[in-house]
Amino acid sequence: MKILIIEDEYALLQTIEAFLLQEKFVVEKAADYNSACEKALIYDYDCILLDITLPGGNGLKILEEMKREGKVGNVIIISARNSLDDKIAGLDLGADDYLTKPFHLSELYARIKAVLRRKNLDNSLTQTFGNSIVYFKERSLLVNGENLKLNRKEFDMLGFFVTNRNRLVTKESLAEHVWGDNIDLADNFDFVYSQVKNLRKKLKTANSDIVIENIYGIGYKMTI
Amino acid sequence: MKLINYLILRITLFFTVVLLLWSGVYFILQMKEIHDGNDEGLTNLKQEFVLKANKIPHFVENMERNAPLNLIVKEISRKEAETIIENFNTTKIYFPTELEKEEVRMLTSAFHCTMNDKYYQIQFFTSTVESDDLLKNLLYLLLGLWIVLITTIFFVSRAILSQANKPFFSLLKNLKDFRLDSSKMIDFPETRIEEYVQLNEAVKELLDKNISVFTEQKQFIENISHELQTPLAIAVSKLEMLLEKHQTDKEQANEISVVLITLNRMKRLNINLLLLSKIRNRQFPAVSQVDLRKVLETVLADFEEIAEYKEITIETAGDTSLSLQMNEDLAQILFTNLVKNAITHNINGGKILLAYAENAITISNSGNAAITDIFNRYKSEKSSGIGLSIVKSIANLYGIKISYRFENDLHIFELKLK
Repeated sequence: MKILIIEDEYALLQTIEAFLLQEKFVVEKAADYNSACEKALIYDYDCILLDITLPGGNGLKILEEMKREGKVGNVIIISARNSLDDKIAGLDLGADDYLTKPFHLSELYARIKAVLRRKNLDNSLTQTFGNSIVYFKERSLLVNGENLKLNRKEFDMLGFFVTNRNRLVTKESLAEHVWGDNIDLADNFDFVYSQVKNLRKKLKTANSDIVIENIYGIGYKMTI
Repeated sequence: MKLINYLILRITLFFTVVLLLWSGVYFILQMKEIHDGNDEGLTNLKQEFVLKANKIPHFVENMERNAPLNLIVKEISRKEAETIIENFNTTKIYFPTELEKEEVRMLTSAFHCTMNDKYYQIQFFTSTVESDDLLKNLLYLLLGLWIVLITTIFFVSRAILSQANKPFFSLLKNLKDFRLDSSKMIDFPETRIEEYVQLNEAVKELLDKNISVFTEQKQFIENISHELQTPLAIAVSKLEMLLEKHQTDKEQANEISVVLITLNRMKRLNINLLLLSKIRNRQFPAVSQVDLRKVLETVLADFEEIAEYKEITIETAGDTSLSLQMNEDLAQILFTNLVKNAITHNINGGKILLAYAENAITISNSGNAAITDIFNRYKSEKSSGIGLSIVKSIANLYGIKISYRFENDLHIFELKLK
């Protein structure tokens, strides 16, 4: 998978690059408007991470250019501006998603995977883990050929774990992914704990090979 | 006290004093003038009498015998005569015709009659203006004058003052309606009165300065909040990478986790600050007819699991549907914060009551004791407290009246639509 990161903040660019390299992506970088525009228009990428405020121009302009050239970039906007106008403008110009800084790397990864899945670029619509099969499109889980009933939030959690498997998922990033930015209750950790416990119980009762490990008090990790 | 009443009262007092002084002086002068006239007549009478007494024999004796109405003649010794100094005075004499004592002006003198070489005391008197009457009349006149004067002053000054102060009151009214956060300069009334022109200029300058400082400050908060997002993003992502690397070391992982949680809190605070600033800057221009009941129910669905976890029961009363012309995202933020508040400050096994009525929504929740000035509760152990400030700002933006009260162990928030 080839990915282009357009971000002018070097430290952030570096971290995202290191993170994506771990996930076996091929990473290209651009730190200003002109080089970003050039790369986005000449090469094809499976996904582009686009910062809006760039030296030399507005990131939304790159989207406009791409749209005019008929380029499909699977663009995820990452912006410090939590502005609805930018969001709407970006999505109107063909961006696939909008992520506000600061974000959890697990969330960024989930968004990238979601875009790729939606376009079915990485054949990950269906994923098998031992005796369990996750169907992302149908939002269902088969364990030993039996449909395991999960409610909406439970599947959201499972999806997040599956996407970030073998990686430590903090409670906060999980809570934000499933319940949105609204859940900033200080006692949400106990709440998240109880929700994960329920999901685990269901998986265990069905004898699923999917195991959600508890990592100290910090978060969880899905293993097979 | 109104300016106009203040002025009229002062003017009235002043004129009363002036009128009183003036009438005192007038009274004294008038009495003096009258007495001078009388005294002159009396002097002439006396001179004529003395002349005739010394020319006509037995004139004085005849006079004494006849006792005319305006004269008292009395024979005295030479010694006595020498002690009498000619003088005028005002006194009272009994008039049989009037059956009472009347005020008279009297000249007392003595003279030597050469005809019979005798000394006489003579007293001439003439009735004069009664000073009591004069005073009374003067008082009536004065009272009349005073009433006319004060009434005139009252109406004239009222008319003049209200006309002259028109620019002032119009400026005052405009200032009352002025709102700093709307950044809209008020209209200044036209005037030719120099003081008011200066007042207008001074007020304009003051407001201009305030608006620009306020705008700058708003912009500053927004810029800083934005600028903070990127460093936060770097810190969070770096730490997450670090956590990933050191996850086997429990102690280190826990330390990193604590830092991450702290940064997360900072992020939320920052986002809310930015939101608050944007609401106050009116940066949510898109409005549509929003079904508030529907929005609130959607929000409640988001919090379903948390409410369930805290064993909070949610009850709904009333079937009115309410809608308002507003920004839909702000409607959602408004209810999210209220519901979040109702859950956070609730007790385990508590309840939340929603009541829909004509033009009002009430959200009540069980919880511990009342909090004063709840909309400015910036700090509490459970939250940043900025949520209710956001609620208040959104309510203000759309003219929703929001009130809080603690009643029957319930925290009650009431939203009243206009």
